Amino acid sequence: MNKTVTAASLALAFGAALSLAAAPAAAQDKMADKEKCYGVALKGKNDCKAGAGTSCAGTSKIDYQGNAWSMVPKGTCEKTASPTSPTGHGQLMAFKEKKV
Amino acid sequence: MTSANPHRPIRGGAAPAAHATLPARGGVGLKPEHFRHILDTRPDIGFFEVHAENYMVAGGPFHHYLERIRADTPLSIHGVGLSIGGEGPLDEAHLDRLAALLARYRPESFSEHLAWSSHGGAFLNDLLPAPYHAGTLARVCAHIDRVQERLGRRMLLENPATYVEFEASTMAETDFISEVVGRTGCGLLLDVNNAYVACVNHGRDARAYLRALPLTAVGEIHLAGHAHDVDAAGAPLLIDSHGAPVAEAVWDLYAYAITLAGPQPTLIERDNDLPAFPVLAAEARQAEIVMARQAALEAA
Amino acid sequence: MSTELAFAHALLRPDAPCPAGLRAWNGSDPVKRYAVYRNNVVVSLVDALADSHPVTQALVGEAFFRAMAGEFARRSPPRSPVLAWYGEGFADFVADFPPAAGLPYLADLARLEWLRVEAWHAADADPLPLAEVAALLADEAALPNLRVTLHPALRVLRSAHPVVSLWAAHQSEDAAGALGAIDFAAAEAALLVRDGLDVALLRVEPGAAAFIYRLQRGDALGAAAQAAAPFDLPATLGLLLRHGAIAAMRTS
Repeated sequence: MNKTVTAASLALAFGAALSLAAAPAAAQDKMADKEKCYGVALKGKNDCKAGAGTSCAGTSKIDYQGNAWSMVPKGTCEKTASPTSPTGHGQLMAFKEKKV
Repeated sequence: MTSANPHRPIRGGAAPAAHATLPARGGVGLKPEHFRHILDTRPDIGFFEVHAENYMVAGGPFHHYLERIRADTPLSIHGVGLSIGGEGPLDEAHLDRLAALLARYRPESFSEHLAWSSHGGAFLNDLLPAPYHAGTLARVCAHIDRVQERLGRRMLLENPATYVEFEASTMAETDFISEVVGRTGCGLLLDVNNAYVACVNHGRDARAYLRALPLTAVGEIHLAGHAHDVDAAGAPLLIDSHGAPVAEAVWDLYAYAITLAGPQPTLIERDNDLPAFPVLAAEARQAEIVMARQAALEAA
Repeated sequence: MSTELAFAHALLRPDAPCPAGLRAWNGSDPVKRYAVYRNNVVVSLVDALADSHPVTQALVGEAFFRAMAGEFARRSPPRSPVLAWYGEGFADFVADFPPAAGLPYLADLARLEWLRVEAWHAADADPLPLAEVAALLADEAALPNLRVTLHPALRVLRSAHPVVSLWAAHQSEDAAGALGAIDFAAAEAALLVRDGLDVALLRVEPGAAAFIYRLQRGDALGAAAQAAAPFDLPATLGLLLRHGAIAAMRTS
């Protein structure tokens, strides 16, 4: 828990915050904003297309469900050093048709 | 049901006073990937069309761009989630969202599909087919009556692209659509690609299919690309993928549709493998060339 | 069984037989034709989840992500036709998905991406002008009791995992290098704010995130600051003001 936050300390904090907020962009870059990050733009998700027929990725093959439960992650996680994994990488655990 | 309907068909070119209409030009489906380009270059496009559900969010960039783009270009709002062909009642909350969206953007046109997409509270995100018989007809008409009453305007109904037929069907699709248009006074959004896809998939003559539709009710035409697959017997099964340029055969059928229905607002739909905007604008211009060529033939 | 019920039933069940009553003009087996619908439902829902969760997908790879998202889609199809909101609950599903158990941070990463979707589409609001903030300081005694209305798009997430670093690494040119440098023992907190038409994601101190969370749920300024773990209050308020994240301040 913080030390008691008084009216006076809030006033001081806001005063400092206002001068930070009014500072020129170059000065702001030196502050916490250097961590600021943006991702890719989102798309519109509703449309009226009909997929790509019966042969594209993610089809409803009969064994598809079983595959989902026995797959292992194979992406950028393999480049991370994970502390929880016995291999030191994204843990590669296969589950066979086990449902929770 | 139909006798009390205030939205009888409006024939003879008398446009409803409450809403301006889309121009008989080429239009392009508006995608967020093209927002910036369109605002920066202000291309001369007859109209834009958006999927209603994408704008049923409170704020943010989608509304920011749509407001600016809509400000100087006619707009069509095209619903993909009302489930008009569904067995259950219409989703009144969704209808409220639609009414709010139409009040905000005052589009020149509103359209939806002859299809269902919700069942038992789940939204299945596909335009699913229904059998054509008296029961479906009664439900579809009741749903369209309700939509037109709630929105206070005439809607256009789009003919579907389908992959199966039902043993329970007792009517041809064209007769079904004609009955719906006659009973509810709704207009027809003639999707020429859907017509072509459905006719190939069900072994029909696409030109005869067009001739059997209530073409005086057409208020807009859709064009899109399709993909090729085969059915279990090896016969062609076309998929309404919206992921390719409009096919030559669909352009030909479009030219024929224009001879029957006259020039119409014509949308290039593309939802998959989206190209740069000028590629779609060129297809929209192609539609205008087809319409102009037909007008010149008729004048000669 | 109604036609619609039969048709809908098998769409999300790969093992269910094709519904009866379908036909094809050439007498071919309608199973192949029905599969177009079956495929489109799942693929389109997985596509929607993939668009909302690009970093989650990158971490596990496309094949694994699509299989996991397909499982979610079949169990939890959307309840609304507005697909922008499809995926709430996906992070909880990921947390309980055994094949992903080796990646303990994955669920929070999905949670972070979901918050970004919420921030993206949230209502717009004008920030409180700095002059009005300054004017409020005149009544110093009233400050602890002020309640702050944050921008509707603002979101905070506190995680036991370095989710901000993981997310940021995937936005960098050298993702592999950035990933290798991450300390997986570090807890991190994220602040998401509108920045013009974009959503910016910032790493903040856990105490600052707790403070902002308390403001968001309606705690008064003094109580919110006091209850949080030690953090840099002036810097945090400066961050909020600079990003237009404070829409109003009122005495309650």
